[in-house]
Amino acid sequence: MRYVKITNEKIYDFLERLKNYGKLYAPVKISDKFYDRKEIEDVREIAFEYIRTLMPAKKYFVSPTEKMFEIDIEKGEYKETLENIEPFVIFGMHACEIVGLRILDGVYLDKYPDIYYKRKRDAGIIVGLSCLPDEYCFCNLTRTDFVDVGFDLFLHELPDGYLVRVGSPNGHKIVDENTDLFEEVDKNDIDAFRAFEEKRQEMFKWEGSFDNMRYILELTMEDEVWDEEVEKCFGCGNCTNTCPTCRCYDVQDIPDIDGKKAKRIRFWDSCQFRGHGLVAGGHNFRGTKRDRFLNRYICKNAYFYGLGTSYCVGCGNCTYFCPANIDYLKNLMKIRSMTEVKNG
Amino acid sequence: MDNIYSLYKCRVLRVYDLTDDVKLFLFRFENPDIAESWTFIPGQFVQLDIPGLGEVPISICSSPMRKGFFELCIKKIGRVTDKIHELKPGDFVGVRGPYGNGFPITEFEDNDLLLIAAGIGMAPLRSVFMYALDNRWKFGNITVINSAKFGKTLLFKKELEAMRDMAEAENIRIIQTVTRDPDWPGRVGRAQEHIKYANTKPEDAYVCVCGPPQIYNDVFQTLIKNSYDPRRIYVTLERRMKCGVGKCGHCIAGSSTFLKYICVDGPVFGYYDIISTPGLI
Repeated sequence: MRYVKITNEKIYDFLERLKNYGKLYAPVKISDKFYDRKEIEDVREIAFEYIRTLMPAKKYFVSPTEKMFEIDIEKGEYKETLENIEPFVIFGMHACEIVGLRILDGVYLDKYPDIYYKRKRDAGIIVGLSCLPDEYCFCNLTRTDFVDVGFDLFLHELPDGYLVRVGSPNGHKIVDENTDLFEEVDKNDIDAFRAFEEKRQEMFKWEGSFDNMRYILELTMEDEVWDEEVEKCFGCGNCTNTCPTCRCYDVQDIPDIDGKKAKRIRFWDSCQFRGHGLVAGGHNFRGTKRDRFLNRYICKNAYFYGLGTSYCVGCGNCTYFCPANIDYLKNLMKIRSMTEVKNG
Repeated sequence: MDNIYSLYKCRVLRVYDLTDDVKLFLFRFENPDIAESWTFIPGQFVQLDIPGLGEVPISICSSPMRKGFFELCIKKIGRVTDKIHELKPGDFVGVRGPYGNGFPITEFEDNDLLLIAAGIGMAPLRSVFMYALDNRWKFGNITVINSAKFGKTLLFKKELEAMRDMAEAENIRIIQTVTRDPDWPGRVGRAQEHIKYANTKPEDAYVCVCGPPQIYNDVFQTLIKNSYDPRRIYVTLERRMKCGVGKCGHCIAGSSTFLKYICVDGPVFGYYDIISTPGLI
């Protein structure tokens, strides 16, 4: 891998130059407690210290609502609606979200590649950013705390700048076209990088691995431990909306007022909603709240063959944003009887 | 890049009432190139679209041997299927597919074939049956057990009855049975009660089962009691599907060690997959 360094003095120049490669999206502070990603005008408002945003970056690739076709009902004709997509740069994605994006790639770009997703994926440049975990993070347990591929550039914090890993031809191009911003990595930088990684590992609240979680989960699905948690759940779908790998969508035809034309749109759906498993005739494959509640745990802990990890990337968003204070990680710890607490 | 959600235009050629609320539709592709190249495996399904209303996943119930044409057997049960039932010969619909794994029919070759259907479950199994008839020399003995609650709700009742003579000459046994119809002159009882009358040799037979989820356990137990090989039992499942291509997530089923998209990993699953995975049926 190619490594370069950028100093703190040049970081805002770098961010400014990123705009040459497309619309720049980055995290900004939107209130006392919350951050969100938005299009950046002034690069100085970018919040480097952010841990999680309201919406994961998947929103740039799987739109919350998206028009797929325009339908002429009378003629029975369909016209695909491929909106014009301009190049864009997402700055500051953390390792977990980049792995999440690769999981979406595995689903959307399999043997039936989804053109709407593909076009956005091709247009997007990913610039990763290192992070330090808070009490909700457990990406070390899911082995998603470090990424090898899936980004164009990845910035690792150093005391006086950033160590940059170059992860793609686009990444090389950006470095090559802006050589005045970058310098060689020296021994001090490598020591600092190592120290940062060590410090980061120390900060995780738990240690161990979730590799056998799917088996333990399967064996304890009937357990009473779930009852109370199911009772707490509102079924609001916040957990799936904020999950970097949740990708269920529903499709509807919305007719115009004269009934002659319609739009086929798809929009985010959630397995926490009652309609998710409902088929014609009234049978519901996930008819109870318990079915729906456990479905998310099952789905997130299932094995994703493409990466050799689970579908859960350990970001902690579902817990952080849950209005009913349901703690996803604690629930899994409970069934696993996991006690390797270091700092908690 | 092609849009996987694009639809092929198909013309309705024939509409036939199978029961009060089930119709059989014959379709033909409008585009000659598609008609020429389109093919499927029995057990696969298509997404059938009514413009402005949406798509529904429907199993193909005809044999893949007839190029450019296919049949769908559709029960009037919801918003879209209500509209489908209004279709007349000459009308157009959108179709995409075929999707799903289908039955492992090449593996079935040189063996006996036992097809067990309950209710609307006859639809996908008719495709296997028709395929086997079109390739009669590739299969051993064949038995079809077609069951329903009432005589008037037996799917393909007349078609199967009309085959009786040919069936005898071809070592095919057709068993039609009903469970709740006192006026029915033929066999009565659930599908599994007739497994013992099949002409298939248990050690040499592949079994396909399709019906409402409640029937599976009893059918499995009877099959195994009658020495059928559990490794050769296949079922086909249904779910809510929006995409058919493993994206939308509605058909995800199974448990954390065996999480499957019914639309791409299924809808056909083997017996051991079914019994070791909570939530599949």
